[in-house]
Amino acid sequence: MNPFVLDKPAILERLGGDEGIFAMMVDMFLTELDNNRQALLTALAGDSAALQREAHTIKGLLATFSDGFGAELAQTLEYQAKNGQVDDARGRVDMLLARVDEVAEVLRGLSAG
Amino acid sequence: MHKVLIIDDSEINLTLIRALVLKLGECEPVMFDHPLKALEWCRGNVPDLVIVDYMMPEMDGLRFIAAFRALHGRTEIPVLMITANDQKDVRYEALLGGANDFLTKPIDRIEFSARVRNMLALRTGQKFLADRAAHLADEVAERTRDIRERERELIFRISRAAEFRDPETGAHIQRMAHYSEIIARGLDLDAATCNLILQAAPLHDVGKIGIRDHILLKPGKLSPQEFDIMKQHAMLGYDLLKDSGSEILQAGAEIARSHHEKYDGSGYPRGLKGSAIPLFGRIVAVADVFDALTSERPYKKAWALDDAMRFLEEGRSTHFDPLCVESFIAGWDEALEVRQRFRDEEAPKI
Repeated sequence: MNPFVLDKPAILERLGGDEGIFAMMVDMFLTELDNNRQALLTALAGDSAALQREAHTIKGLLATFSDGFGAELAQTLEYQAKNGQVDDARGRVDMLLARVDEVAEVLRGLSAG
Repeated sequence: MHKVLIIDDSEINLTLIRALVLKLGECEPVMFDHPLKALEWCRGNVPDLVIVDYMMPEMDGLRFIAAFRALHGRTEIPVLMITANDQKDVRYEALLGGANDFLTKPIDRIEFSARVRNMLALRTGQKFLADRAAHLADEVAERTRDIRERERELIFRISRAAEFRDPETGAHIQRMAHYSEIIARGLDLDAATCNLILQAAPLHDVGKIGIRDHILLKPGKLSPQEFDIMKQHAMLGYDLLKDSGSEILQAGAEIARSHHEKYDGSGYPRGLKGSAIPLFGRIVAVADVFDALTSERPYKKAWALDDAMRFLEEGRSTHFDPLCVESFIAGWDEALEVRQRFRDEEAPKI
């Protein structure tokens, strides 16, 4: 697994160099973390359309922080759910959640620092 | 201030887009995390721009755009759809389905600002054109009103030109026109027709312009030959006004030609009988005779109102259309008000 490295300059460039918006995004990611984790787990137990949607949401969140690897994990899950291939979804969900936690950890360190 | 409607089920996206919209200035973001709630808002509000996410539960962005476009007056409002950068097929579908442009996630501020600004410029252009169109329509309506008003004034002045050569007065024209309108209303003619007769009745004697003074202004009784010449004013008026493009002048032509016809066929110029006499002619005949009888002239005193009414009643089916007489008597109180309003000695100036 590729370790997550925060590419703040790339993210800031996308946000037009606005540190305020960047800080807000970090806060929101951390605030919404539990909700998003829970939503993904609930979707795993539910239908594939819900799983596709939640994977899509997490893909967006990770892409916002320029996490190409994480976004790709989420995208694979999203596509598999879309195509109804949910047999090994559990494993992918776990991987994705681990990635989300990793990103959160880095972001937490950022706000603490 | 542009109202920017933002619909995204993800709180973080809503917050980001809101922050970026506020950075643009002159924008008021309105946010919904659910497309159905946003649609409800759209029923009573018109946004200047819609930014909508594609993937949302219950109703995706494409279905939202379709429902939004179906609302009255929302077909032109710019819509930006947000899609992930791997959703090329969705982007095509969005463009075909009524989105004006799209934004890719993760959102890039430069791209976002450019596209949002473009959409708002489009909206500003739309509003400008709509305002201009409304302004022009108002202006045309106002000018048309002016022209109509001038047409009415000219007709009244032409009518007066004829009456100046006659012992009749401007007040006579006003009274007989209003009496005609009262009768028309009593006959249940529609409002536009009642207004038409009010405008056209003053032209009834315009043909008198073509009658020589020694006959028109003769103090004594006319000889049969002189009376025959006098009668020509009906056809002269008709010839003067016929074939006009103006509805009022057309009606005036018909009235000029037919207001001396009598219900039993003994009138002139054509000796028409009953319903063969144009309705406007039958109406104006009652109004014109009543006013002539009840007005004072250099050669006669004004008749008492009761006597004039009796004359009309006695003339039913011989001189006058009985329905027109009945209608006039039914509007008697109104007719007296008109008589009071347009008195000879204080005829309103035009």
